Amino acid sequence: MTHLRVGILGSGAMAQTHLRAWRALDVPWLALHDRNLETATDLAHTYGAKVYDNAAELIRDCDVVDICLPTFLHLEAVMQVALAGKHIICEKPIALSTKEGMAMIQSCETAGVRLYIAMVLRFFPMYRRAAELALAGKLGTLQVLRLKRVGFPPHGGTSWFADDALSGGIVVDMMLHDIDYALWVAGDVVRVFARLTRTTTQQYAQAILTHSSGAITHIECGWAYQNGLFRTALDLVGDAGLLEWSSDAPPSSLRLPNTVEMIGAVPLPAISAASDPYTMQLQHAAHCLETGSPFEVTTQDAVRALNVALAVRSSALSGRAVMV
Amino acid sequence: MNAPVNAPARRVLKVAILGLAHVHTEGYISILKTLPGVELLGCAERDGIASSRTFEGVKMFSGVTALLEQRPDAVIICSETVFHRELVERAARAGAHILCEKPIATTLEDARIMQDACHTAGVNFMTAFPMRFDITLQHTRQTLQEGSLGAVLGIVGVNHSINPSSHDAWFADPILAGGGAVMDHTVHLTDLYRWFFKTEILEVYAALGHPLGSSVETSGILLVTLENGLHASIDCSWSRPAHYPRWGHLKMEIVCEKGVLVVDPFADHLTLFDTANPAPTWVSFAPDPNRAMLLAFLESVQKHLPPPVTWLDGYRTLQVALSAYTSSQTGQLERITSQEF
Repeated sequence: MTHLRVGILGSGAMAQTHLRAWRALDVPWLALHDRNLETATDLAHTYGAKVYDNAAELIRDCDVVDICLPTFLHLEAVMQVALAGKHIICEKPIALSTKEGMAMIQSCETAGVRLYIAMVLRFFPMYRRAAELALAGKLGTLQVLRLKRVGFPPHGGTSWFADDALSGGIVVDMMLHDIDYALWVAGDVVRVFARLTRTTTQQYAQAILTHSSGAITHIECGWAYQNGLFRTALDLVGDAGLLEWSSDAPPSSLRLPNTVEMIGAVPLPAISAASDPYTMQLQHAAHCLETGSPFEVTTQDAVRALNVALAVRSSALSGRAVMV
Repeated sequence: MNAPVNAPARRVLKVAILGLAHVHTEGYISILKTLPGVELLGCAERDGIASSRTFEGVKMFSGVTALLEQRPDAVIICSETVFHRELVERAARAGAHILCEKPIATTLEDARIMQDACHTAGVNFMTAFPMRFDITLQHTRQTLQEGSLGAVLGIVGVNHSINPSSHDAWFADPILAGGGAVMDHTVHLTDLYRWFFKTEILEVYAALGHPLGSSVETSGILLVTLENGLHASIDCSWSRPAHYPRWGHLKMEIVCEKGVLVVDPFADHLTLFDTANPAPTWVSFAPDPNRAMLLAFLESVQKHLPPPVTWLDGYRTLQVALSAYTSSQTGQLERITSQEF
């Protein structure tokens, strides 16, 4: 149970996901604002939240602002909220450049507000359990990691996601999850190489990361499948063990014929109701804000993942390996 | 269909196995024993090398010279990779057609000498790429060539196995095998990519894992680019633990504009729990591609046809494997020069 008054900025897929999660956490006060007032009003109605037609008033009335805006708007929004002295939860990636990211962190520190970047993959139960086992040494020294994340083009490949100038592109927006995960379990990365193929609406990328430990990571990432299809997988190998998991495995409860849940035409992994990672993440963030305890994912983690993602993107553009 | 009444009886083909080191040797022997019109003359190691292995009902010769004196029509080279060249030269001089295990050699120079020897002697050289004879992969190739899935965006391939030990330990010997996981597992997927798209590999980037105490790399990930611009990865790692339910797997996902092909040629299996094994094992119920490959090889010998898989297929895939080592050393993309033969 949290007593925080939560204000959400945005009305897209992540705003909806977070609204649902905050509702599950039974927050006493929930409101949202978006420049698209109509969508915001519909969403607010669905989830029993208030609607504000003015961002500044929303920020004034809440304890924490949950920024669910497209990436290119993060910098401006974080600066505004920090100036207003409110704590911030902000969607990943933190920003479009490490410079912007560091400026956001600096502003929050100056203003004395806390900043949590929503790197939600760390709260997915299978990824979390695998990381716990790997970090506890159950696999021995990590040697080779395989991470997969392939879905369909968001909004048919025509939205801001498809514009690298607004989203950072697929590597910065989506591969970032698995880059952060690889950094988390296998440590710093020294060299990357990547290939990226595009059609008018699709993007498909593969990257190889070389960690300073000598471990290597393969990441497959795409907005490439047909609508409704989203697949993820992990395969972690150490000199003492192996962990395999794939979203192709049957879930704990199956309704056949099955259909993939779609929120706002953006691909999101199927989640189990008992362990919704979005809810668990926001519960963790709220708990840290109320108790003053440190976040599990720091702003430095967010910048580090972005830095590697930008190197991967640079490699994909240049066709050269890039040192990090 | 009935054969014409007056058709001449097919000549019995005399087959010999030179070298017994390869993991496939035992399987080849058990298949050859069941093939009609085939006489398995026997097996031999190089001259002066006593074999540490025996196979029931198969004659073991004292050496390759004694076995080649029996004038085999065809030989299968199953030695450690570094000895392929010597055995190929011997077999070619004896006039035997050759099926040679992969990778065909440890160096490009050896591979070229092998080709020259076969050319001079007028015998065929076939590279043993059994996956080309796998029904699932043949269907995959057909689907891709029909083009109904639109442009290919990329391919992810894995050829994982357990770390070789016991009879297979030489696969991890840098002299005998010419390397580790890269030499062992890069060539199959490389050949399949070439075969699917009838094109060569132009560029290779590779990162290899070389754990302490290992004389060769035990893991490797390659990103290769084909002449048609397609990017494909190959994970050649010996990354399955010793008690994995099977030796490993070869899998690929081919991501296309209009759909994704998820291909696992070894998927047809039962899970066996028995008292002989501490962990469950996977038992195949799919047709054995090695059998189809041997049949195709022997048919090409019988009918004086070109081999269904060529020396060049073996050479090009070896080039890719060797380029992976160069790339991992320089940390950069390696471009393959497409020398003509």
